[in-house]
Amino acid sequence: MSIRSLELRARAVVEGFWNGLHRSPYHGFSVEFTEYRQYTPGDDPRHVDWRVYARTDRHYIKKFEDETNLRCHILLDRSRSMEFGTTGHTKADYAATLAATFAHFLHQQGDAIGLMTFDEQVRELLPARHRPGHLRHLYHAIESPAAGTSTQLGKPIERAADLLHKRGMVIVLSDFLADPAELEKPLLRLAAIGHEICAFQVLDPSERDFSFRESSLFEDAESGTTLHIDPAAARAGYLQRFNAHQQALASVCARVGVSWHPLVTDRPLGMALFDFLQDRARRGRIIRRAS
Amino acid sequence: MSFLAPFFLLGAAAIAGPILFHLIRRTTRNRTLFSSLRFLRPTPPRLTRKSRLENWLLLLLRCLALALLALAFSRPFFRQPTPPTSPDGPARRTVVLVDTSASMRRPDLWNDAKARAAQLFREAGPGDQLALVTFDRNSTLQVSFQQWEAASPADRATIAIAALDALQPSWNPTHLGPALVRAAEELSDTDVAQDAVRRRIHLISDLQEGARLDPLQSYEWPKGIEVIPEPVKASRTGNASIQLIAEAPDADRGTDPAVRVRVSNSADSKREQFQVRWASTDPSTPIPAPLDLYVPPGQAKILPVPVPTNSATASGTTNLPVANRPSSLVLSGDDEPFDNTLHVHPPQPSRLELLYIGNDTVAEARQPLFFLSRALPETRRQTVKINAAKPSSPPTPEALASARVIVVTSPLTDALSDSLRTRMESGQTVVFAPTGPDASLTLARLIAVPGTTLVEEKPTRYGLLGELDFRHPLLAPFADPRFSDFTRIHYWRYRRITTPLPTNAVVVTRFDSSAPAWVDFPVGRGRLVFLASGWSIADSQFALSSKFVPWLYSLLDLAGSSLSPSVHPLVGDPIPLPPGRTGLLAIRRPDGTSTNLPPSADRFTGTDQPGTWWIGEGADAKPVAVNLDPSEGRTAPLSMEQLEKLGIQLDAALSTAAAPTPKPAGTPPAAEAESRQKLWRWIITAALCLLALETLIAGLTARRAVPVQDPA
Repeated sequence: MSIRSLELRARAVVEGFWNGLHRSPYHGFSVEFTEYRQYTPGDDPRHVDWRVYARTDRHYIKKFEDETNLRCHILLDRSRSMEFGTTGHTKADYAATLAATFAHFLHQQGDAIGLMTFDEQVRELLPARHRPGHLRHLYHAIESPAAGTSTQLGKPIERAADLLHKRGMVIVLSDFLADPAELEKPLLRLAAIGHEICAFQVLDPSERDFSFRESSLFEDAESGTTLHIDPAAARAGYLQRFNAHQQALASVCARVGVSWHPLVTDRPLGMALFDFLQDRARRGRIIRRAS
Repeated sequence: MSFLAPFFLLGAAAIAGPILFHLIRRTTRNRTLFSSLRFLRPTPPRLTRKSRLENWLLLLLRCLALALLALAFSRPFFRQPTPPTSPDGPARRTVVLVDTSASMRRPDLWNDAKARAAQLFREAGPGDQLALVTFDRNSTLQVSFQQWEAASPADRATIAIAALDALQPSWNPTHLGPALVRAAEELSDTDVAQDAVRRRIHLISDLQEGARLDPLQSYEWPKGIEVIPEPVKASRTGNASIQLIAEAPDADRGTDPAVRVRVSNSADSKREQFQVRWASTDPSTPIPAPLDLYVPPGQAKILPVPVPTNSATASGTTNLPVANRPSSLVLSGDDEPFDNTLHVHPPQPSRLELLYIGNDTVAEARQPLFFLSRALPETRRQTVKINAAKPSSPPTPEALASARVIVVTSPLTDALSDSLRTRMESGQTVVFAPTGPDASLTLARLIAVPGTTLVEEKPTRYGLLGELDFRHPLLAPFADPRFSDFTRIHYWRYRRITTPLPTNAVVVTRFDSSAPAWVDFPVGRGRLVFLASGWSIADSQFALSSKFVPWLYSLLDLAGSSLSPSVHPLVGDPIPLPPGRTGLLAIRRPDGTSTNLPPSADRFTGTDQPGTWWIGEGADAKPVAVNLDPSEGRTAPLSMEQLEKLGIQLDAALSTAAAPTPKPAGTPPAAEAESRQKLWRWIITAALCLLALETLIAGLTARRAVPVQDPA
């Protein structure tokens, strides 16, 4: 609801967001035929179907579907580590809501949305479409429970690069709790195809701050291995390693040209999206200026 | 405070357990789910001061419970000085229970038992109270607590030992159950404060397997009474015994009489080969060859032994008189002789003459004589000879005198009636069952009441016996409700006595019209049994009913000729005596002494030794073989568990048989003091209460605790 009230779409048009978003390689030309219509004066004669005229001696206009300017693919991480959460909802919930929001308003503005869920491998793939029932399929796929035992971002992104040939936009939703070095090569490949990549890192506040107090056996959500941890003693080391990881991730993204958005689940979703759109608008201006 | 088992105090070291667990438990209790452990390194659990302090109450409770358990197991007690009133220890009430059953006749057992009892009497302190009870089939109080108290302390032991010396083992079986109950009642039946005294029963017996414990099943053993078994042991183990068992059901059909005996060999016996032979007091009696028998230990065998009834002489075989026949079977090959003789008197066929006076013949199938001759067939035990005579040709006086029972069914001449009356006065029984109405004069003469008249009656459909006196010997066999139904016997006609009956006449049954049916008239030493309706078919269905034959036998019994099956009484069992006696009855014991019983006695209860008892005198004397109870032969030791199962509190540890330890003077032994104080019960109770409290507190704490992570 908060997303609707923000009137993102109008804002994006005003700020020139669509320019950035609409760099479709087909220049307003659609291949999706829908129906024939009698020619009336004033119609563009380019659209008259001459073959039909040759057969029937009448002028018919070939009508196409609304033109799609953007193909957007959402890559959603469904691994077990996403099932962790201390704020009343898990990271998976947060990421799913975010994915649904993207899907919803991109669909509303007529763009084609695709979805790829993955854990250590690709689980589900819905090609980018803009059809009346497509959104419901998407929601269903987003809501399916997480099953993966580990997060390997490299393989799914490589697979995405194999499957997504047409240029468009790729949104990656994950906690990125994997080795950053593995990410660089697949991301580069994906970017080289011409995709614009946005990476959203969904984190729990306790992952960021390691705010546990009582010592206990810590169990890995994915592998199930346990470690005895005294938080007071372990916090400093954790934060040091976590921050190093975040920096490594940010530097990889900067090198590849991926827009990088860490999100913490205690933050309202609308705010996070708002930040993202502002960032997008800024990037759009930059691109326009560059062009 | 002292301890009976101080080593158990080491168990208190287990307190270290809870302390250790309290130190390390908190570190391992929680599990926290975390997204990824890739940024974490393990840190060792730390024993913080905080964790020790948090559950100090639980820790205290646990340690205390463990310490109390260790304390309870070490059986603590307080060494208290004994009360000054009894310098030799606490006052004791003791019943010395001495077995005098037949199995104590084995060599040395009785002397050993007496010595043990005497030792107990001598060791008794001045404050102690003792009683002496002997038991076999019955329990007898020989020296009571009052007698013991009344005597001076110096004389007490002498009195009790003298009472015991006067006794000898009897021939009776061991009834241990009633004896223990009796002794417990002697101890309970006291006005002394029962908590202050120790109550004990010293059981001096051979404690054989055959001892009967039946009454203990239903007896709740009183608390605080200990039984100290002091078994006396025979020098030899193992025993074989011989026992008479019931005859085979078809014994009557055989021609060669035999008795069936069972020879049992105890499980701990070392012998297997035995012999069974007849023995007689008369050396001239020929004795058949002994029978060899092989009985493995723990088994029993049943053996038919032929009865020697004839003796071969030069002139052929002659029937031996009863008194000269061998009367006992002896088992040889066994070490313990006390139960090796079995006294047997095989049933002798008794001969009886019955005189029938009537106008009918045996061939007339509807008349009384026909039924009478068929109801009393000849068997191996009895021969009833029926002589028939007609009133027109009266029987000779010899025939009248030899008949035990005279049955009359027709009117008699006056002379014959008078002679019958004479026979009745001398003790014979006459049954008068007229078949017609013209018998008034005969009845009047027989009962000597002139003017007695009989009137023939015919009921509308049939008459029934309405009133029956089952106490009368004629009806006594039918007293059981299963047999007392006489309503199936229909009477077509009968004779009513219209004149009043003599005062001494007993009406046994009446018809439903209240007319007397059977009347018993005592006449002199004999009697007249008058039947208002006989058993001819014209009179009634009596002869056709199932009551007729038993009734005839009870009539013969009433006439003093018992043909009832022979009984095999054991020592102490009563012997039923023949009813209807008029004079004293002589009883001759196996040892030759005699007793006379009054006519009112219906049974003889003084069978105190095995052997042949003779009931009656002269030629009428009947032998009755009285035997030892077969259970006395089972001399294998009784297991103490059997007594414990019956709820008896045994104190085997304090038994003098199990190496008595000298007591330290002045103070009771530690075990005794501890078992009296029983502090461990209270300590265990306290430990359980502490554990319950600990469970409660731990439960509350666990419910309040937050189970998983608690991030800030």
